[in-house]
Amino acid sequence: MNRRIAMALTGATVLLTALTACGESGSSSAGGSETGSDGGAETIASGMVLGGPPEFENRPDGIPGLEEVYGVTFGEFRSLDAGGPLTINALKNGQIDAADIFTTDPNIAANDWVVLEDPENLFAAQNVLPLINTEKVTDGVTAVLDAVSAELTTEDLLALNEQVIIDRQDPAAVAGQWLAEQGLDATGTQAAGVDLTIGSANFPENIILANIYAQALQAQGATVDTQLNIGSREVYMPGLQDGSIDLIPEYSGVLLEYFDPEATAVSSEDVYAALPEALPSGLTVLEQSAAEDKDAIVVTRETAEEYGLTSIADLAEQP
Amino acid sequence: MNEVLVWLNDPQNWTGTRSTPGIGDQVAAHLAYTAVALLIAGGIAFPLGLVLGHTGRASWLVSVANGLRSLPTVGLLILLYVMVSPLVSGRGDAVYLVPTEIALVVLALPAILANTYAGVRNVSPAVRDAAFGMGMTGRQVLFRVELPNALPLVFSGVRSAALQVIATATIAAYVGLDGLGRYVYDGLASRQFGEMAGGAVLVAVLALLVDLLLALVQRVTVSRGVSGRFSRRAAGGDGRTARITELAAADPDDLSPAAGDPAATDPVPVPEGSGGRSTG
Amino acid sequence: MTSAAGSAPWDLFGYFADHREQVLELLWSHTWLSVLPVVVGLLVALPIGWLARRYRWAYPPIVSVTGLLYTIPSLALFVIMPTLLGTQILDPLNVVAALTVYTVALLVRVVADGLAAVPEDVLQAATAMGLTRLQLLRMVQLPLAVPVIAAGLRVATVANVSLVAIAATIGIPQLGQLFITGFQLSVSGPYYPPIVLGIVLCVALALLLDRLIVLSARLLTPWQRVVTAR
Repeated sequence: MNRRIAMALTGATVLLTALTACGESGSSSAGGSETGSDGGAETIASGMVLGGPPEFENRPDGIPGLEEVYGVTFGEFRSLDAGGPLTINALKNGQIDAADIFTTDPNIAANDWVVLEDPENLFAAQNVLPLINTEKVTDGVTAVLDAVSAELTTEDLLALNEQVIIDRQDPAAVAGQWLAEQGLDATGTQAAGVDLTIGSANFPENIILANIYAQALQAQGATVDTQLNIGSREVYMPGLQDGSIDLIPEYSGVLLEYFDPEATAVSSEDVYAALPEALPSGLTVLEQSAAEDKDAIVVTRETAEEYGLTSIADLAEQP
Repeated sequence: MNEVLVWLNDPQNWTGTRSTPGIGDQVAAHLAYTAVALLIAGGIAFPLGLVLGHTGRASWLVSVANGLRSLPTVGLLILLYVMVSPLVSGRGDAVYLVPTEIALVVLALPAILANTYAGVRNVSPAVRDAAFGMGMTGRQVLFRVELPNALPLVFSGVRSAALQVIATATIAAYVGLDGLGRYVYDGLASRQFGEMAGGAVLVAVLALLVDLLLALVQRVTVSRGVSGRFSRRAAGGDGRTARITELAAADPDDLSPAAGDPAATDPVPVPEGSGGRSTG
Repeated sequence: MTSAAGSAPWDLFGYFADHREQVLELLWSHTWLSVLPVVVGLLVALPIGWLARRYRWAYPPIVSVTGLLYTIPSLALFVIMPTLLGTQILDPLNVVAALTVYTVALLVRVVADGLAAVPEDVLQAATAMGLTRLQLLRMVQLPLAVPVIAAGLRVATVANVSLVAIAATIGIPQLGQLFITGFQLSVSGPYYPPIVLGIVLCVALALLLDRLIVLSARLLTPWQRVVTAR
């Protein structure tokens, strides 16, 4: 009996060890993938690990775009999150050398990181604008949201993000404060009789913006329901299309890319002009704000200085 | 459904390209996460369960371990990552692997511990007394009598733990690791329904294969005198029921008096027996 | 304006005080998202389990098919549900349906085995007393299977409380959102309060529901108390 058990235990151990061993070898490229160029001259990028959201690996302005527009090929790509805690911490702690994060991220200034210039406009313009169910558009709603967009600037976004992400203040309170500062908190009846559900993606900036829309509309008499922190675009966009939510703060460039992956517009005006055509029926964008929050390739100050990096194009140089 | 088949049929998804690992690599990574978690959990829970079951002491430890089942795995993973992240710098997977493996170990531990404990406790006192009467030492009784008799339950625990860990190892991809979860998360992020569902199907198939493998190991290891498998009929008992009955059997202060006092009654069937009986 | 609480794990109380209303709302939706599938799952599993017991040949296929369901990763199931059900993607019904699937997967076998555990002589005695098949089920088999079924319900409930949290990634509000909130704010150092609060509430909810099942099972099986009290 005893021998039988010993035999089986040994067998099981050997089996599991074998599995582990083959697993280890299989996952040696864990989390990422070699995109390294074979035979080509070594570049600064080929010795680096890039981190970004999972879809960055295949989306036109992601890995393929970097290669096509700048001739930049990173040694490895690690699927993390869209400018979220995984990517930020990975860049901070050296798990990755470069990151796809967003320009209004307060962590960039907090850590003294360097945003690499994008002279060829790989990343399209990303102006903040309200995406809304066409049925819910009234003159009043348009007036309220246009007034918000008219005041919102990129600096505002940075400041709002800093208060929520770094100082950990409540997004609703931060939104209310901003509206008060802009003099947009006056009560009225412009949007009276309108009933809408406002959603937001699952990152702080979008939650703040949704709160701003919600409070501005509420002050003008609208009945507002919020469903914040919904998830990524893949989750909330169907929700917008099937009527679960009516309004969400969006970004012009990604919105265009979502509905028209072939779109080539990059400038703020061109992207905005192309949007009505690309949007499915039932969805409308209102006036866009000057505030912009776009993708950027970001490196630490040390990395930038070590290799003399100021632009994405520099990554294609030899070290 | 069609998209899933298309995705599964694309040879490129299996071999991978220079830039992306193939399905084989992801299966291997998935199995590696699983194996490591099961080995660690087993390494802790199996000896502990034997000792606790043999001595009958500190049964509260089993209750505590059962309490671990209520820990939400995602929450634990995020908590551990947030804790570990500032401590680890430099390249490599450690900062993602450590939290993932701990979360998976916590998932696997209760099933193995509770089942090993219950398996040893449920050995009939008459059998145990007979062994002592033959002059066996405590250690001999444990390894020659109690362990062989407990094996069916131990296997149920391991199989149930393996099933859970394989299904849950998907979350490794949530923190940027590999494994079959990669397809689920990447498919969701890039709106490739076929890839996402294909990944899910692969996880289910993998779980079944591993369960089958463990069932074979169980068949070879468990003495016929214990399994009662004298005909060609397979000894029943599979991970899932085990999780239930083991809970009923192993939680000393609860429904079943079986664990605390094996002689009391046997209102809750031991999975092996019940599984076997009801199949027949 | 600034949140009064700090970022250490024990500041969860301060965090709770600051976000009381929101957290209670999440707790409530987490509760019904976990409990409803167990109730529906039990109602579905009872007849299937009975069938598997009544017609022995049906046991292996039924148990394997339902068991197979349990191996599908939950995130995938949550996301596929709208396609299967024709529901809206943000509909909590998706989560309820997915967890019901898991609950059924777990309980069918439990019900079948629980019914099988009723001693043959008891059944013969009841039949001899003239009980019809339905009476037999209602008055003898089900009551005697309560301990086993209750044990299964406990596992399903505790598992559901943990699984619901995963639905936070697809926008269904429940305690899992506290994890995500804490995660997002953990960039300039760990921000424990919402994460720890979420875990504590999940565990408390699971333990509470677990106790409730144990208690109701005790109430339903008075004869067991006599045995235990001996």
